[in-house]
Amino acid sequence: MDLLDFFLRSREAQHALQQARARLYRLAYSWCHSAALADDLVQETLTKALRKSAQLRDPKARDAWLFTILANCYRDHFRKLREMDDVDEIEISHETTPETESSSAEIVSLVRAAIAHLPGAQRQVVTLVDLEGFSYVEVSQILDVPIGTVMSRLCRARNTMRTMLLPDMQQLPALSPTIRRVK
Amino acid sequence: MNKAQRYSDEHLNAFVDNQLAAEEKSQTYIDIGHDEGLNHQVCELRKLHDLVQLAYREPPAPPTHATPGAPTRRAGLRFGVAASVLFTLGILLGGLIRLPGPATAPRATSAPSPAQHRVVAAAIHKEITLTQASQRTEGAVARAPEQAPATAAANPPSALTLPAAANAVGSGPVVAQSKSPGKTQTKVLIHLARDDDAQLSQALDDIEGLLKYYRESRQTARVEVVVNGGGLKLVRTDTSAFAGRIQRLQREYDNLTFAACQNTIDRLAREQGISVRLLPGVITIDSGMAEIMRRQHQGWTYLQV
Repeated sequence: MDLLDFFLRSREAQHALQQARARLYRLAYSWCHSAALADDLVQETLTKALRKSAQLRDPKARDAWLFTILANCYRDHFRKLREMDDVDEIEISHETTPETESSSAEIVSLVRAAIAHLPGAQRQVVTLVDLEGFSYVEVSQILDVPIGTVMSRLCRARNTMRTMLLPDMQQLPALSPTIRRVK
Repeated sequence: MNKAQRYSDEHLNAFVDNQLAAEEKSQTYIDIGHDEGLNHQVCELRKLHDLVQLAYREPPAPPTHATPGAPTRRAGLRFGVAASVLFTLGILLGGLIRLPGPATAPRATSAPSPAQHRVVAAAIHKEITLTQASQRTEGAVARAPEQAPATAAANPPSALTLPAAANAVGSGPVVAQSKSPGKTQTKVLIHLARDDDAQLSQALDDIEGLLKYYRESRQTARVEVVVNGGGLKLVRTDTSAFAGRIQRLQREYDNLTFAACQNTIDRLAREQGISVRLLPGVITIDSGMAEIMRRQHQGWTYLQV
């Protein structure tokens, strides 16, 4: 019976990891804005999670645990890449410009550009809170920083985004939604 | 003291993110109700929260094909074992069941209908023509689309008796043999520009026959039907006599697209005051002729019905 329980738990854990993959990828992409790197990070995260699945005592804490691994993988990646750069200070470039996007995608492009402009540490906090809905306590555990730091980073990130985004968005033309191509 | 000044940015962020205790949250709600500036600040924070969610709702697909629904290695192994068993069984059964004569053996599979014969023959003939033309000069390629309607007019579809086409149809899945299925994608563009119901009905028969043929011969194919001029009648909600049939075709074949010319729609509005409404699932393209040229440059086979 114990053996059966073990297999059932193992299958359940694998299923949960598969379910989390899309969310991990979305968050990783919001951090690095590179599909290839985000995929690599998620792959590494899931590999580590599977290897260390015995460490997870409480299945309810699985989400926070997975995103902690992702945050560590992200930090390690930049450590390996450029030992002299502080990951918190790295700004990523946004490869597309509003001109290259269609008008319907312009808002998405603007917001991604604003997120890309944020320092890495602020970017992580704002995406963990806004995309994944983690509480401040959980974010402080995932990133291993004090809760006050989480709050101040979030505050600075949103102030920057407000300055960058909201005036730009008022200048966008109001277009009626149209479907040009569906396939 | 202004209430907006009493609340720090951190406090307002915590309010928006639902991180405050119940009592603090209630008090903040009350104060927001009395202070326009505070209300505005909270609205902006909520807007930013929504914008971040919107921006990453559909991140670009990862370069690898690893998706949550992708088969795992174990599933692949299972599939391999099942395939091997089926393959062995197939060989055994094939040895046991002998067909009466060699002449009937190639006909064991379902034979294409006459409509399939016609359109597939035309498509194959057109591909051959385009290939030969491209081997000659670029000028010849440019002339190919102009020649196509003339050929079609001179030889009605049912009267296609070209040796190459006849051979191709006679031997059934010759296209699948000449092009490895799954790797190359057959792309056919069908152009409808006349409003004759009998002709449109015939065209739909041909399109369905073509799609059925590709499905049965397991070829990956895309078929795009471009309507302009009088052909727009086919996809207008107020004039189409085949709305149900078109919707059924779209449901059954996800590789079929109906594309309506925006220029024609605009012209109808301008000259006749008709506000065109298209059938569900029909897309619009800027110009039918431009689409035809674009598709031909991309290697699509052009057929005018």
